[in-house]
Amino acid sequence: MNRSLSFEIFRYAAILTIVALSLVPTLWMASMAFKPIAEWSATGADLTWWPKSPTLDNFRFLFGESSSDLIVALDRTAARPILASLLSAVFGTLIAMVAGTSAAYGLSRFGSGGNLPLALIQLRIFPPMAVMIPVMIMWAFLDLIDTWYGLALVYGIVTMPFAFWLMKTFFDDMPREIEDAALVEGCSRLRVFWKITLPMMRPALASSALFVFILNWSDYLIGLLLTTRDWVTIPVYMASLSSSMTGQLYGAKAALGLIAAIPPVVLGIAIQKHLVRGLTFGALKQ
Amino acid sequence: MTMAALDTNTPVMEHEDTRDSRRLGIWLTLPAQILVLFIAVFPILMQVYISLTDWSPLDGIGWWQAHELWNSFANYSDLMADDRFWSALGRTVLVMAICVPVEFLLGLGLAILFVDDFPGRRFLYSVLLIPMMVVPAVAGYMFFMLFQSGGPVNDILSFFYGAPVTIAWLADPDLAFFAVIVSDIWQWTPLMFLILLAGMVGVPEDQLRAATLLGASWATRFRTIVLPRMKTIIIIALAIRVIENFKVFDNFYIMTGGGPGVATETISIYIYKVTQQELIWGYVAAVALVILIALSVVSAIAIKRMSRGVSQ
Repeated sequence: MNRSLSFEIFRYAAILTIVALSLVPTLWMASMAFKPIAEWSATGADLTWWPKSPTLDNFRFLFGESSSDLIVALDRTAARPILASLLSAVFGTLIAMVAGTSAAYGLSRFGSGGNLPLALIQLRIFPPMAVMIPVMIMWAFLDLIDTWYGLALVYGIVTMPFAFWLMKTFFDDMPREIEDAALVEGCSRLRVFWKITLPMMRPALASSALFVFILNWSDYLIGLLLTTRDWVTIPVYMASLSSSMTGQLYGAKAALGLIAAIPPVVLGIAIQKHLVRGLTFGALKQ
Repeated sequence: MTMAALDTNTPVMEHEDTRDSRRLGIWLTLPAQILVLFIAVFPILMQVYISLTDWSPLDGIGWWQAHELWNSFANYSDLMADDRFWSALGRTVLVMAICVPVEFLLGLGLAILFVDDFPGRRFLYSVLLIPMMVVPAVAGYMFFMLFQSGGPVNDILSFFYGAPVTIAWLADPDLAFFAVIVSDIWQWTPLMFLILLAGMVGVPEDQLRAATLLGASWATRFRTIVLPRMKTIIIIALAIRVIENFKVFDNFYIMTGGGPGVATETISIYIYKVTQQELIWGYVAAVALVILIALSVVSAIAIKRMSRGVSQ
Protein backbone atom coordinates (compact mmCIF):
# COMPACT_ATOMS: atom_id res chain seq x y z
CA MET A 1 0.00 0.00 0.00
CA ASN A 2 1.41 3.34 -0.99
CA ARG A 3 1.20 5.92 1.66
CA SER A 4 2.26 9.51 1.69
CA LEU A 5 5.39 10.94 3.23
CA SER A 6 3.34 12.71 5.89
CA PHE A 7 1.92 9.36 6.96
CA GLU A 8 5.42 7.93 7.28
CA ILE A 9 6.48 10.86 9.43
CA PHE A 10 3.39 10.48 11.58
CA ARG A 11 4.00 6.76 11.91
CA TYR A 12 7.57 7.11 13.11
CA ALA A 13 6.66 9.94 15.46
CA ALA A 14 3.79 7.98 17.00
CA ILE A 15 5.71 4.72 17.29
CA LEU A 16 8.83 6.30 18.71
CA THR A 17 6.80 8.24 21.29
CA ILE A 18 5.04 5.10 22.46
CA VAL A 19 8.26 3.07 22.47
CA ALA A 20 9.96 5.76 24.54
CA LEU A 21 7.08 5.91 27.03
CA SER A 22 6.91 2.13 27.32
CA LEU A 23 10.63 1.92 28.02
CA VAL A 24 10.71 4.50 30.82
CA PRO A 25 9.70 2.19 33.71
CA THR A 26 12.10 -0.57 32.69
CA LEU A 27 14.98 1.80 32.08
CA TRP A 28 14.31 3.58 35.35
CA MET A 29 14.64 0.30 37.19
CA ALA A 30 17.77 -0.64 35.23
CA SER A 31 19.37 2.71 36.02
CA MET A 32 18.32 2.50 39.67
CA ALA A 33 20.02 -0.88 39.95
CA PHE A 34 23.39 0.78 39.34
CA LYS A 35 22.89 3.87 41.49
CA PRO A 36 24.69 4.36 44.78
CA ILE A 37 22.49 5.06 47.77
CA ALA A 38 22.99 8.83 47.54
CA GLU A 39 21.13 8.84 44.21
CA TRP A 40 18.29 6.45 45.08
CA SER A 41 15.70 8.93 46.09
CA ALA A 42 15.64 12.62 45.55
CA THR A 43 13.50 15.56 46.37
CA GLY A 44 12.47 17.40 43.25
CA ALA A 45 15.40 19.06 41.58
CA ASP A 46 18.30 16.73 42.17
CA LEU A 47 16.77 13.58 40.73
CA THR A 48 19.31 11.70 38.64
CA TRP A 49 18.02 9.87 35.60
CA TRP A 50 21.28 8.20 34.86
CA PRO A 51 23.63 7.03 37.62
CA LYS A 52 26.29 9.73 38.11
CA SER A 53 28.68 7.29 39.72
CA PRO A 54 27.53 3.84 38.60
CA THR A 55 28.27 1.04 41.02
CA LEU A 56 27.69 -2.68 41.47
CA ASP A 57 27.15 -2.22 45.21
CA ASN A 58 23.45 -3.06 44.98
CA PHE A 59 24.21 -6.45 43.47
CA ARG A 60 27.00 -7.13 45.97
CA PHE A 61 24.65 -6.16 48.77
CA LEU A 62 22.03 -8.65 47.54
CA PHE A 63 24.52 -11.48 47.81
CA GLY A 64 25.57 -10.69 51.33
CA GLU A 65 28.28 -8.07 51.23
CA SER A 66 27.59 -5.36 53.76
CA SER A 67 27.89 -1.93 52.33
CA SER A 68 29.46 0.90 54.27
CA ASP A 69 26.90 3.36 52.91
CA LEU A 70 23.95 1.21 53.82
CA ILE A 71 24.98 0.40 57.37
CA VAL A 72 22.65 -2.59 57.27
CA ALA A 73 23.46 -6.05 55.99
CA LEU A 74 20.98 -8.68 54.92
CA ASP A 75 20.41 -11.54 57.28
CA ARG A 76 19.29 -13.58 54.29
CA THR A 77 20.82 -13.06 50.87
CA ALA A 78 19.01 -13.17 47.55
CA ALA A 79 20.73 -16.40 46.52
CA ARG A 80 18.19 -18.69 48.17
CA PRO A 81 15.10 -16.95 46.71
CA ILE A 82 16.67 -17.06 43.25
CA LEU A 83 17.24 -20.79 43.72
CA ALA A 84 13.65 -21.18 44.98
CA SER A 85 12.23 -19.40 41.94
CA LEU A 86 14.41 -21.43 39.60
CA LEU A 87 13.72 -24.84 41.13
CA SER A 88 9.98 -24.36 41.42
CA ALA A 89 9.63 -22.85 37.94
CA VAL A 90 11.78 -25.53 36.28
CA PHE A 91 10.07 -28.47 37.96
CA GLY A 92 6.65 -26.87 37.57
CA THR A 93 7.38 -26.60 33.86
CA LEU A 94 8.43 -30.24 33.79
CA ILE A 95 5.17 -31.37 35.41
CA ALA A 96 3.07 -29.18 33.13
CA MET A 97 4.88 -30.35 30.01
CA VAL A 98 4.77 -34.09 30.80
CA ALA A 99 1.09 -34.10 31.76
CA GLY A 100 0.07 -31.53 29.13
CA THR A 101 1.98 -33.08 26.22
CA SER A 102 0.83 -36.63 26.79
CA ALA A 103 -2.78 -35.53 27.29
CA ALA A 104 -2.60 -33.38 24.15
CA TYR A 105 -1.33 -36.37 22.17
CA GLY A 106 -4.01 -38.61 23.62
CA LEU A 107 -6.72 -36.16 22.61
CA SER A 108 -5.23 -35.23 19.27
CA ARG A 109 -4.69 -38.83 18.09
CA PHE A 110 -7.10 -41.04 20.03
CA GLY A 111 -9.80 -38.59 21.06
CA SER A 112 -9.49 -39.54 24.70
CA GLY A 113 -9.97 -37.06 27.50
CA GLY A 114 -12.64 -35.10 25.68
CA ASN A 115 -13.55 -33.32 28.90
CA LEU A 116 -10.09 -31.80 29.24
CA PRO A 117 -10.26 -28.84 26.83
CA LEU A 118 -13.20 -27.19 28.55
CA ALA A 119 -12.05 -28.17 32.05
CA LEU A 120 -8.70 -26.58 31.37
CA ILE A 121 -10.26 -23.40 30.00
CA GLN A 122 -12.37 -23.18 33.14
CA LEU A 123 -9.28 -23.69 35.27
CA ARG A 124 -7.67 -20.82 33.43
CA ILE A 125 -10.63 -18.52 33.99
CA PHE A 126 -10.71 -18.99 37.76
CA PRO A 127 -8.72 -16.39 39.70
CA PRO A 128 -5.96 -18.26 41.55
CA MET A 129 -6.87 -16.44 44.75
CA ALA A 130 -10.34 -18.04 44.71
CA VAL A 131 -8.96 -21.57 44.22
CA MET A 132 -6.05 -21.28 46.58
CA ILE A 133 -7.81 -21.41 49.95
CA PRO A 134 -8.45 -25.17 49.92
CA VAL A 135 -5.06 -25.68 48.30
CA MET A 136 -3.42 -23.87 51.21
CA ILE A 137 -5.27 -26.11 53.63
CA MET A 138 -4.34 -29.24 51.68
CA TRP A 139 -0.71 -28.18 51.41
CA ALA A 140 -0.53 -27.51 55.13
CA PHE A 141 -2.08 -30.93 55.71
CA LEU A 142 0.41 -32.61 53.36
CA ASP A 143 3.35 -30.64 54.82
CA LEU A 144 4.06 -29.01 51.47
CA ILE A 145 4.00 -25.39 52.67
CA ASP A 146 7.31 -23.59 52.21
CA THR A 147 8.91 -26.26 50.04
CA TRP A 148 10.08 -25.80 46.48
CA TYR A 149 8.44 -29.05 45.39
CA GLY A 150 5.09 -28.08 46.88
CA LEU A 151 5.28 -24.85 44.92
CA ALA A 152 6.42 -26.67 41.77
CA LEU A 153 3.40 -28.98 41.98
CA VAL A 154 0.96 -26.06 42.03
CA TYR A 155 2.86 -24.32 39.22
CA GLY A 156 2.68 -27.51 37.18
CA ILE A 157 -1.07 -27.78 37.60
CA VAL A 158 -1.74 -24.10 37.00
CA THR A 159 0.28 -23.90 33.78
CA MET A 160 -0.63 -27.36 32.46
CA PRO A 161 -3.55 -25.89 30.45
CA PHE A 162 -1.09 -23.81 28.45
CA ALA A 163 1.19 -26.79 27.79
CA PHE A 164 -1.84 -28.86 26.81
CA TRP A 165 -3.34 -26.33 24.38
CA LEU A 166 -0.01 -25.41 22.82
CA MET A 167 1.03 -29.01 22.25
CA LYS A 168 -2.44 -29.95 21.02
CA THR A 169 -2.25 -27.36 18.24
CA PHE A 170 1.25 -28.55 17.35
CA PHE A 171 0.10 -32.20 17.22
CA ASP A 172 -2.97 -31.25 15.20
CA ASP A 173 -0.72 -29.46 12.69
CA MET A 174 1.69 -32.36 12.34
CA PRO A 175 1.18 -34.47 9.23
CA ARG A 176 0.21 -38.01 10.18
CA GLU A 177 1.75 -39.77 7.20
CA ILE A 178 5.04 -40.40 8.98
CA GLU A 179 3.33 -41.90 12.01
CA ASP A 180 1.10 -43.99 9.78
CA ALA A 181 4.10 -45.31 7.86
CA ALA A 182 5.79 -46.39 11.08
CA LEU A 183 2.59 -48.12 12.20
CA VAL A 184 2.47 -50.05 8.95
CA GLU A 185 6.08 -51.10 9.60
CA GLY A 186 4.81 -52.73 12.76
CA CYS A 187 5.78 -50.22 15.45
CA SER A 188 3.50 -50.01 18.45
CA ARG A 189 1.54 -46.86 19.06
CA LEU A 190 3.56 -46.02 22.14
CA ARG A 191 6.83 -46.57 20.29
CA VAL A 192 5.70 -44.29 17.48
CA PHE A 193 4.89 -41.58 20.01
CA TRP A 194 8.18 -41.98 21.84
CA LYS A 195 10.57 -42.63 18.97
CA ILE A 196 9.04 -40.67 16.10
CA THR A 197 6.53 -38.06 17.16
CA LEU A 198 8.32 -36.60 20.17
CA PRO A 199 11.71 -36.22 18.44
CA MET A 200 9.97 -34.51 15.51
CA MET A 201 8.24 -32.20 17.94
CA ARG A 202 11.45 -31.07 19.59
CA PRO A 203 11.22 -27.41 18.50
CA ALA A 204 7.55 -27.27 19.50
CA LEU A 205 8.32 -28.86 22.85
CA ALA A 206 11.14 -26.41 23.44
CA SER A 207 9.09 -23.30 22.73
CA SER A 208 6.10 -24.58 24.72
CA ALA A 209 8.37 -25.36 27.66
CA LEU A 210 9.95 -21.91 27.53
CA PHE A 211 6.52 -20.31 27.39
CA VAL A 212 5.35 -22.30 30.42
CA PHE A 213 8.60 -21.49 32.23
CA ILE A 214 8.00 -17.76 31.71
CA LEU A 215 4.54 -18.11 33.23
CA ASN A 216 5.85 -20.00 36.24
CA TRP A 217 8.75 -17.63 36.74
CA SER A 218 6.33 -14.69 36.66
CA ASP A 219 4.21 -15.92 39.53
CA TYR A 220 3.86 -13.85 42.67
CA LEU A 221 0.57 -14.76 44.35
CA ILE A 222 1.10 -18.52 44.66
CA GLY A 223 4.58 -18.03 46.08
CA LEU A 224 3.17 -15.48 48.48
CA LEU A 225 0.54 -17.92 49.72
CA LEU A 226 2.55 -21.12 49.86
CA THR A 227 6.02 -20.07 50.98
CA THR A 228 6.85 -18.44 54.26
CA ARG A 229 10.58 -18.32 54.86
CA ASP A 230 13.00 -20.93 53.57
CA TRP A 231 11.73 -21.13 50.01
CA VAL A 232 10.22 -17.70 49.35
CA THR A 233 10.44 -16.78 45.67
CA ILE A 234 12.12 -13.66 44.29
CA PRO A 235 9.12 -11.31 44.25
CA VAL A 236 8.05 -12.39 47.74
CA TYR A 237 11.57 -11.84 49.01
CA MET A 238 11.72 -8.41 47.39
CA ALA A 239 9.17 -7.08 49.86
CA SER A 240 11.64 -7.72 52.67
CA LEU A 241 14.21 -5.41 51.08
CA SER A 242 13.55 -2.46 53.29
CA SER A 243 14.87 -1.58 56.69
CA SER A 244 13.80 0.64 59.50
CA MET A 245 17.00 2.64 59.19
CA THR A 246 17.11 3.32 55.46
CA GLY A 247 13.49 2.76 54.48
CA GLN A 248 12.96 1.21 51.06
CA LEU A 249 16.16 -0.26 49.68
CA TYR A 250 15.34 1.00 46.19
CA GLY A 251 18.69 0.13 44.67
CA ALA A 252 18.68 -3.44 45.97
CA LYS A 253 15.07 -3.91 44.89
CA ALA A 254 15.84 -2.61 41.43
CA ALA A 255 18.91 -4.83 41.14
CA LEU A 256 16.91 -7.93 42.06
CA GLY A 257 14.03 -6.80 39.85
CA LEU A 258 16.46 -6.58 36.97
CA ILE A 259 17.74 -10.10 37.68
CA ALA A 260 14.13 -11.36 37.77
CA ALA A 261 13.10 -9.48 34.63
CA ILE A 262 15.92 -10.61 32.36
CA PRO A 263 15.09 -14.34 31.84
CA PRO A 264 11.46 -13.86 30.70
CA VAL A 265 12.30 -10.92 28.45
CA VAL A 266 15.16 -12.79 26.76
CA LEU A 267 13.22 -16.07 26.45
CA GLY A 268 10.05 -14.24 25.39
CA ILE A 269 11.84 -12.53 22.53
CA ALA A 270 13.42 -15.84 21.60
CA ILE A 271 10.03 -17.55 21.23
CA GLN A 272 8.25 -14.48 19.82
CA LYS A 273 6.91 -16.54 16.92
CA HIS A 274 4.87 -18.73 19.25
CA LEU A 275 3.74 -16.11 21.76
CA VAL A 276 0.41 -15.49 20.05
CA ARG A 277 -0.34 -19.19 19.89
CA GLY A 278 0.49 -19.63 23.56
CA LEU A 279 -1.34 -16.60 24.81
CA THR A 280 -4.53 -17.36 22.90
CA PHE A 281 -4.52 -21.01 23.98
CA GLY A 282 -3.70 -22.05 20.43
CA ALA A 283 -6.77 -20.34 19.01
CA LEU A 284 -4.62 -18.14 16.85
CA LYS A 285 -1.46 -19.25 15.10
CA GLN A 286 1.02 -16.99 13.46
CA MET B 1 -2.79 -18.05 10.30
CA THR B 2 -5.54 -20.52 10.89
CA MET B 3 -8.41 -20.63 13.26
CA ALA B 4 -8.79 -23.52 15.61
CA ALA B 5 -10.58 -21.67 18.35
CA LEU B 6 -12.36 -23.85 20.84
CA ASP B 7 -12.28 -26.72 18.42
CA THR B 8 -12.85 -29.35 21.03
CA ASN B 9 -14.09 -32.05 18.71
CA THR B 10 -10.90 -33.11 17.06
CA PRO B 11 -11.73 -35.51 14.29
CA VAL B 12 -10.33 -38.89 15.07
CA MET B 13 -9.30 -40.95 12.10
CA GLU B 14 -8.85 -44.38 13.47
CA HIS B 15 -8.89 -47.53 11.51
CA GLU B 16 -7.14 -50.50 13.06
CA ASP B 17 -6.07 -51.34 16.59
CA THR B 18 -8.83 -49.19 18.10
CA ARG B 19 -8.83 -50.98 21.43
CA ASP B 20 -5.11 -50.61 22.03
CA SER B 21 -5.27 -47.03 20.89
CA ARG B 22 -8.10 -46.26 23.23
CA ARG B 23 -6.22 -47.79 26.13
CA LEU B 24 -3.08 -45.83 25.31
CA GLY B 25 -5.15 -42.67 24.97
CA ILE B 26 -6.58 -43.14 28.42
CA TRP B 27 -3.12 -43.72 29.89
CA LEU B 28 -1.78 -40.63 28.16
CA THR B 29 -4.52 -38.37 29.46
CA LEU B 30 -4.45 -39.86 32.95
CA PRO B 31 -1.81 -37.58 34.52
CA ALA B 32 -3.64 -34.49 33.34
CA GLN B 33 -6.95 -35.84 34.62
CA ILE B 34 -5.45 -36.60 38.03
CA LEU B 35 -3.95 -33.11 38.26
CA VAL B 36 -7.31 -31.53 37.37
CA LEU B 37 -9.01 -33.64 40.04
CA PHE B 38 -6.33 -32.69 42.51
CA ILE B 39 -6.46 -28.95 41.96
CA ALA B 40 -10.00 -28.35 40.78
CA VAL B 41 -12.54 -30.95 41.76
CA PHE B 42 -11.33 -31.98 45.20
CA PRO B 43 -10.46 -28.46 46.43
CA ILE B 44 -13.80 -27.11 45.27
CA LEU B 45 -15.69 -29.80 47.16
CA MET B 46 -13.59 -28.97 50.19
CA GLN B 47 -14.36 -25.32 49.70
CA VAL B 48 -18.10 -26.02 49.65
CA TYR B 49 -17.72 -27.92 52.93
CA ILE B 50 -15.67 -25.26 54.71
CA SER B 51 -17.83 -22.43 53.43
CA LEU B 52 -20.71 -23.78 55.52
CA THR B 53 -18.75 -23.50 58.75
CA ASP B 54 -16.93 -21.01 60.97
CA TRP B 55 -13.68 -22.88 60.51
CA SER B 56 -10.37 -21.02 60.77
CA PRO B 57 -6.83 -22.43 60.85
CA LEU B 58 -6.38 -20.94 64.32
CA ASP B 59 -9.13 -23.00 65.93
CA GLY B 60 -6.82 -25.92 66.46
CA ILE B 61 -9.15 -28.43 64.84
CA GLY B 62 -8.47 -30.03 61.48
CA TRP B 63 -10.43 -28.92 58.46
CA TRP B 64 -12.09 -32.34 58.24
CA GLN B 65 -13.71 -31.65 61.61
CA ALA B 66 -15.07 -28.32 60.44
CA HIS B 67 -18.63 -29.64 60.63
CA GLU B 68 -18.41 -29.10 64.39
CA LEU B 69 -18.46 -25.40 63.57
CA TRP B 70 -21.42 -25.69 61.23
CA ASN B 71 -23.18 -22.38 60.86
CA SER B 72 -25.80 -23.25 58.23
CA PHE B 73 -25.62 -20.58 55.60
CA ALA B 74 -24.52 -17.70 57.82
CA ASN B 75 -21.43 -17.04 55.68
CA TYR B 76 -23.58 -16.58 52.62
CA SER B 77 -26.00 -14.22 54.31
CA ASP B 78 -23.04 -12.29 55.75
CA LEU B 79 -21.68 -12.02 52.25
CA MET B 80 -24.86 -10.36 51.01
CA ALA B 81 -24.42 -7.67 53.65
CA ASP B 82 -20.66 -7.27 53.24
CA ASP B 83 -20.18 -3.81 51.74
CA ARG B 84 -16.45 -4.24 51.42
CA PHE B 85 -16.93 -7.34 49.26
CA TRP B 86 -19.41 -5.65 46.95
CA SER B 87 -17.29 -2.54 46.61
CA ALA B 88 -14.23 -4.68 45.81
CA LEU B 89 -16.26 -6.50 43.17
CA GLY B 90 -17.53 -3.22 41.73
CA ARG B 91 -14.01 -1.81 41.71
CA THR B 92 -12.69 -4.89 39.91
CA VAL B 93 -15.33 -4.41 37.21
CA LEU B 94 -14.53 -0.69 37.02
CA VAL B 95 -10.81 -1.41 36.59
CA MET B 96 -11.73 -3.80 33.80
CA ALA B 97 -14.07 -1.28 32.18
CA ILE B 98 -11.25 1.26 32.05
CA CYS B 99 -8.22 -0.93 31.31
CA VAL B 100 -9.55 -3.29 28.68
CA PRO B 101 -10.97 -0.64 26.28
CA VAL B 102 -7.90 1.59 26.63
CA GLU B 103 -5.55 -1.35 26.05
CA PHE B 104 -7.66 -2.46 23.10
CA LEU B 105 -7.70 0.95 21.39
CA LEU B 106 -4.00 1.55 21.98
CA GLY B 107 -3.18 -1.98 20.80
CA LEU B 108 -5.36 -1.58 17.71
CA GLY B 109 -3.78 1.78 16.90
CA LEU B 110 -0.30 0.32 17.22
CA ALA B 111 -1.26 -2.70 15.13
CA ILE B 112 -2.46 -0.37 12.34
CA LEU B 113 0.87 1.45 12.45
CA PHE B 114 2.76 -1.86 12.28
CA VAL B 115 0.69 -3.75 9.75
CA ASP B 116 2.93 -3.08 6.76
CA ASP B 117 6.66 -3.12 6.59
CA PHE B 118 8.95 -0.18 7.33
CA PRO B 119 12.61 0.07 8.24
CA GLY B 120 13.15 -0.89 11.87
CA ARG B 121 9.80 -2.68 12.17
CA ARG B 122 11.10 -5.94 13.60
CA PHE B 123 13.29 -4.24 16.18
CA LEU B 124 10.61 -1.81 17.37
CA TYR B 125 8.10 -4.68 17.51
CA SER B 126 10.34 -6.63 19.88
CA VAL B 127 10.98 -3.56 22.02
CA LEU B 128 7.25 -2.90 22.32
CA LEU B 129 6.67 -6.42 23.64
CA ILE B 130 9.06 -5.98 26.58
CA PRO B 131 6.52 -4.68 29.15
CA MET B 132 4.30 -7.76 28.94
CA MET B 133 7.27 -10.03 29.57
CA VAL B 134 8.38 -8.22 32.69
CA VAL B 135 7.33 -10.19 35.78
CA PRO B 136 4.09 -8.46 36.93
CA ALA B 137 5.30 -8.25 40.51
CA VAL B 138 8.49 -6.57 39.32
CA ALA B 139 6.35 -4.18 37.27
CA GLY B 140 4.58 -3.40 40.54
CA TYR B 141 7.89 -2.48 42.18
CA MET B 142 8.84 -0.39 39.13
CA PHE B 143 5.66 1.67 39.26
CA PHE B 144 5.92 1.90 43.02
CA MET B 145 9.26 3.65 42.49
CA LEU B 146 8.00 5.77 39.59
CA PHE B 147 5.12 7.20 41.59
CA GLN B 148 7.07 8.12 44.73
CA SER B 149 6.80 11.77 45.59
CA GLY B 150 10.52 12.19 44.84
CA GLY B 151 10.27 9.94 41.82
CA PRO B 152 10.53 10.41 38.07
CA VAL B 153 6.82 10.98 37.38
CA ASN B 154 6.83 14.08 39.54
CA ASP B 155 10.16 15.04 38.02
CA ILE B 156 8.67 15.04 34.51
CA LEU B 157 5.63 16.97 35.75
CA SER B 158 7.91 19.49 37.42
CA PHE B 159 9.70 19.99 34.12
CA PHE B 160 6.47 20.89 32.33
CA TYR B 161 4.93 22.77 35.23
CA GLY B 162 8.02 24.86 35.81
CA ALA B 163 7.95 24.40 39.56
CA PRO B 164 8.70 21.40 41.77
CA VAL B 165 5.76 18.99 41.89
CA THR B 166 5.59 16.72 44.92
CA ILE B 167 2.40 14.75 44.60
CA ALA B 168 2.13 11.74 46.89
CA TRP B 169 0.47 9.60 44.24
CA LEU B 170 0.02 6.39 46.14
CA ALA B 171 -1.28 8.10 49.27
CA ASP B 172 -4.29 9.70 47.61
CA PRO B 173 -7.24 7.38 46.84
CA ASP B 174 -8.02 8.77 43.36
CA LEU B 175 -4.41 9.20 42.30
CA ALA B 176 -3.49 5.74 43.57
CA PHE B 177 -6.35 4.30 41.52
CA PHE B 178 -5.04 6.18 38.50
CA ALA B 179 -1.50 4.92 39.14
CA VAL B 180 -2.44 1.23 39.33
CA ILE B 181 -4.53 1.61 36.16
CA VAL B 182 -1.52 3.14 34.38
CA SER B 183 0.64 0.20 35.41
CA ASP B 184 -1.91 -2.28 34.07
CA ILE B 185 -2.23 -0.43 30.76
CA TRP B 186 1.54 -0.18 30.45
CA GLN B 187 1.97 -3.90 30.97
CA TRP B 188 -0.87 -5.32 28.91
CA THR B 189 -1.29 -3.02 25.89
CA PRO B 190 1.53 -5.00 24.21
CA LEU B 191 -0.55 -8.18 24.53
CA MET B 192 -3.48 -6.58 22.70
CA PHE B 193 -1.06 -5.23 20.12
CA LEU B 194 0.55 -8.64 19.60
CA ILE B 195 -2.73 -10.49 19.12
CA LEU B 196 -4.46 -7.82 17.03
CA LEU B 197 -1.44 -7.41 14.77
CA ALA B 198 -1.33 -11.18 14.19
CA GLY B 199 -4.99 -10.98 13.18
CA MET B 200 -4.51 -7.95 10.97
CA VAL B 201 -1.56 -9.44 9.12
CA GLY B 202 -3.79 -12.40 8.28
CA VAL B 203 -6.24 -10.29 6.28
CA PRO B 204 -5.79 -11.27 2.61
CA GLU B 205 -3.70 -8.72 0.73
CA ASP B 206 -5.47 -9.19 -2.64
CA GLN B 207 -8.85 -8.13 -1.29
CA LEU B 208 -7.33 -4.96 0.08
CA ARG B 209 -5.58 -4.27 -3.24
CA ALA B 210 -8.79 -4.82 -5.17
CA ALA B 211 -10.64 -2.44 -2.89
CA THR B 212 -7.88 0.13 -3.31
CA LEU B 213 -8.17 -0.14 -7.09
CA LEU B 214 -11.90 0.42 -6.79
CA GLY B 215 -11.09 3.67 -5.05
CA ALA B 216 -12.06 2.72 -1.52
CA SER B 217 -10.48 5.03 1.04
CA TRP B 218 -8.28 3.70 3.80
CA ALA B 219 -11.04 4.15 6.37
CA THR B 220 -13.57 2.33 4.20
CA ARG B 221 -11.20 -0.57 3.60
CA PHE B 222 -10.49 -0.82 7.29
CA ARG B 223 -14.16 -0.75 8.24
CA THR B 224 -15.52 -3.04 5.55
CA ILE B 225 -12.69 -5.54 5.01
CA VAL B 226 -10.22 -5.56 7.89
CA LEU B 227 -12.49 -5.24 10.90
CA PRO B 228 -15.07 -7.89 9.89
CA ARG B 229 -12.22 -10.31 9.16
CA MET B 230 -10.76 -9.66 12.58
CA LYS B 231 -14.01 -10.19 14.46
CA THR B 232 -13.04 -13.49 16.06
CA ILE B 233 -9.55 -12.33 16.93
CA ILE B 234 -10.92 -9.19 18.53
CA ILE B 235 -13.31 -11.28 20.61
CA ILE B 236 -10.48 -13.59 21.69
CA ALA B 237 -8.19 -10.69 22.58
CA LEU B 238 -10.92 -8.97 24.61
CA ALA B 239 -11.90 -12.23 26.32
CA ILE B 240 -8.31 -12.93 27.37
CA ARG B 241 -7.86 -9.48 28.83
CA VAL B 242 -11.23 -9.55 30.60
CA ILE B 243 -10.36 -12.90 32.19
CA GLU B 244 -6.84 -11.89 33.18
CA ASN B 245 -7.84 -8.43 34.34
CA PHE B 246 -10.46 -9.83 36.66
CA LYS B 247 -7.70 -11.73 38.48
CA VAL B 248 -5.49 -8.68 38.87
CA PHE B 249 -3.42 -8.83 42.04
CA ASP B 250 0.37 -8.63 41.73
CA ASN B 251 1.12 -5.09 40.62
CA PHE B 252 -1.84 -3.57 42.49
CA TYR B 253 -0.97 -5.27 45.74
CA ILE B 254 2.70 -4.34 45.52
CA MET B 255 2.04 -0.71 44.59
CA THR B 256 -0.64 0.07 47.15
CA GLY B 257 -1.55 -3.03 49.15
CA GLY B 258 -5.13 -2.26 48.13
CA GLY B 259 -5.01 1.12 49.78
CA PRO B 260 -5.07 3.85 50.72
CA GLY B 261 -8.04 2.56 52.67
CA VAL B 262 -9.69 0.29 50.15
CA ALA B 263 -9.21 2.65 47.18
CA THR B 264 -7.46 0.06 44.99
CA GLU B 265 -8.78 -3.13 46.58
CA THR B 266 -9.80 -5.58 43.86
CA ILE B 267 -11.56 -8.85 44.52
CA SER B 268 -8.32 -10.87 44.66
CA ILE B 269 -6.75 -8.40 47.08
CA TYR B 270 -9.90 -8.46 49.19
CA ILE B 271 -9.84 -12.26 49.46
CA TYR B 272 -6.12 -12.26 50.20
CA LYS B 273 -6.45 -9.69 52.94
CA VAL B 274 -9.36 -11.43 54.61
CA THR B 275 -7.41 -14.71 54.47
CA GLN B 276 -4.27 -13.20 55.94
CA GLN B 277 -5.54 -10.64 58.41
CA GLU B 278 -8.87 -11.81 59.65
CA LEU B 279 -8.35 -15.52 59.31
CA ILE B 280 -12.03 -16.36 58.95
CA TRP B 281 -11.49 -19.00 56.32
CA GLY B 282 -14.99 -20.40 56.34
CA TYR B 283 -16.20 -17.00 55.22
CA VAL B 284 -13.44 -16.55 52.63
CA ALA B 285 -14.28 -19.96 51.21
CA ALA B 286 -17.86 -18.76 50.73
CA VAL B 287 -16.68 -15.58 49.01
CA ALA B 288 -14.34 -17.49 46.71
CA LEU B 289 -17.03 -20.02 45.90
CA VAL B 290 -19.53 -17.34 44.93
CA ILE B 291 -16.92 -15.82 42.61
CA LEU B 292 -16.13 -19.23 41.08
CA ILE B 293 -19.78 -20.05 40.46
CA ALA B 294 -20.48 -16.63 38.96
CA LEU B 295 -17.44 -16.94 36.68
CA SER B 296 -18.37 -20.47 35.63
CA VAL B 297 -21.84 -19.36 34.59
CA VAL B 298 -20.60 -16.28 32.74
CA SER B 299 -17.79 -18.16 31.02
CA ALA B 300 -20.02 -21.09 30.04
CA ILE B 301 -22.39 -18.67 28.32
CA ALA B 302 -19.50 -16.79 26.74
CA ILE B 303 -17.79 -19.95 25.48
CA LYS B 304 -21.05 -21.19 23.97
CA ARG B 305 -21.64 -17.88 22.21
CA MET B 306 -18.04 -17.65 21.10
CA SER B 307 -17.91 -21.12 19.60
CA ARG B 308 -21.09 -20.31 17.72
CA GLY B 309 -19.46 -17.10 16.49
CA VAL B 310 -16.33 -18.97 15.46
CA SER B 311 -18.10 -21.70 13.54
CA GLN B 312 -20.02 -19.16 11.46
